[in-house]
Amino acid sequence: MNLTPTQREQGRRNFMKALAGTPALAALAVTSYFRGPVKGGPLRVGFIGTGGQGRALLGVAMPPFVDVRALCDINPAQLKLADAILEKNTLPVPRHYSDWKEMLAKEDLEAVIMAPPLFMHADLAVACLDAGKHVLCEKMMAWDVAGCERMRDAAIRNKRVLEIGYQRFYSPLYTAANDGILQRGLLGEVYHARLAWHRNGNWRRQGAPPSPDYDPSAWGYPTFEHLLNWRLYKKYSRGLFAELGSHLLSIASWVFGAGPEAVYASGGVYRFKDGRESADHVYGTFEYPGGRTAVFSSIESNAFDNYYEMFFGTKGTLILSAEQEAFLFEEGSEGAPTTVAIAAAGPGPVLESTETQPGNRPTDPRAASAATQRFERRTSTKLEIERFAAAVRTGQPLACGPDRAMISARACIRATESLEQRARLAI
Amino acid sequence: MTPVSKWAPACLVLLRTLIGWHFLYEGYFKLIQPAWSAAGAPLPPWSAAGFLRAASGPLAGAFHRMAEPPWISIVDVAIPVALAVIGVWLMLGLFTQWAAAGALLLLLTFYVAAVPTTGEPELRSEGAYLIVNKTLIEAGAVLVVLLSRTGRIAGLDRLLSKRAPIARESGAAA
Repeated sequence: MNLTPTQREQGRRNFMKALAGTPALAALAVTSYFRGPVKGGPLRVGFIGTGGQGRALLGVAMPPFVDVRALCDINPAQLKLADAILEKNTLPVPRHYSDWKEMLAKEDLEAVIMAPPLFMHADLAVACLDAGKHVLCEKMMAWDVAGCERMRDAAIRNKRVLEIGYQRFYSPLYTAANDGILQRGLLGEVYHARLAWHRNGNWRRQGAPPSPDYDPSAWGYPTFEHLLNWRLYKKYSRGLFAELGSHLLSIASWVFGAGPEAVYASGGVYRFKDGRESADHVYGTFEYPGGRTAVFSSIESNAFDNYYEMFFGTKGTLILSAEQEAFLFEEGSEGAPTTVAIAAAGPGPVLESTETQPGNRPTDPRAASAATQRFERRTSTKLEIERFAAAVRTGQPLACGPDRAMISARACIRATESLEQRARLAI
Repeated sequence: MTPVSKWAPACLVLLRTLIGWHFLYEGYFKLIQPAWSAAGAPLPPWSAAGFLRAASGPLAGAFHRMAEPPWISIVDVAIPVALAVIGVWLMLGLFTQWAAAGALLLLLTFYVAAVPTTGEPELRSEGAYLIVNKTLIEAGAVLVVLLSRTGRIAGLDRLLSKRAPIARESGAAA
């Protein structure tokens, strides 16, 4: 996706023009309906997992929506970094735990926000839900489909709110694009979506154990390196499909109004042959009902494309770029893209490098927009936490929810299996 | 021909019920805070402090003192509870005279704390008022209710009273 400045400007205008006068612009504000207020103060939450993504959530978990009562992580170094974030936000530093069971037993929590390694999601979320806590779990939903189903069933059984952290569903930009452009049929018939998340860097994290005698084996990691780089090992992770692809697949499935029925994937460890098991290049073709296809690629050798979702229709093309900009082009007209600038003017707090926002910006040709882009993503994540708290308190519907999250989880789990088996698999 | 419509007693009961609901909801809403709006926005705990600090008029000094500890913690509970209890009593027609007298006292207190003197629309107010505002008008309505003894027209007070209800008395007089 390479656009000239003129094309970008035109596409940005087209997008806003298409939205003008439609209810989609109303989607940029919170919708409400007639009902009385509900008693209750900020949601009392505990955090499990205060790594990069956990801290990204912690940084936007603010009063009066939530009150962070406790933090839990098996790595004390991560807890220290989490404290620093709370201090920066002039919020009190809560109690620390290394054992989540102890945290649930000792703290008066209503909800748990969790961002542990993927293979822990299902067990932790189910235990929290069974303990009567509402759960906001980072994406992907779970390591396997059975885990996803256990989570959903536990939420239903315990009548608790379960949300999965796909912040795009809380992004005003995505809501406007879907409601105002895609669902109104402005693109005509859409047969193809192209999803890309390209980075140029080693996914491996560097770091020393919190103490020389630190032993993570009690938690299932034979070495500290496994804990630090859990994303690179199959036992804990589903690789790029899960960590990056599931975001984009969830949007494609939202737009297509269905989940993919089959996938053919390829890829492998091509560049970083350092003992990792997760592929550093993955390509997947996802077949949707009605002859529609989404193609996803994620590579770790070139960041020129950055990340985006593109929808190609018989009447037009929509590009959602880096969670920050939207461009609309009419089919047949030369150069016509759009950006709706949702990002607040002025300097915003900069989010630290996380899973999906790696610290390899200098190699990115669009590095100049990095600060704005990060602010935009932070806003969606903030809305996600606020809406989660509101869902618990007022019963307001979730934007994603377990059923929607399962669609992309199922697709991405099958994609990793397809990659390993070199076979087209039904989903 | 009597100068008062035969519907007047029913209207007085309706007026009492409306005022009762207003008091009850004002009290209830303050008591449930902190709360969440239906749109998912958190509402902070309620306090009379802001209103009291902004008080003007001859009794401003007393109101300002009530906005500070230790009084404010009492006021913040007493006002909503009084509003809710008075509201329930007015709606049910129970202890109606006491409820109406209490309502009148509260409304006049609120009025004296913030007599509209500018005659211009103010922030968070939907109209322009000079001397007379809706609080004073509601106080006037409560005065009518108070003097009409509506608990004896319709309300639980009838169960407490050994005297015949007013409606029948007036009916007999006609």
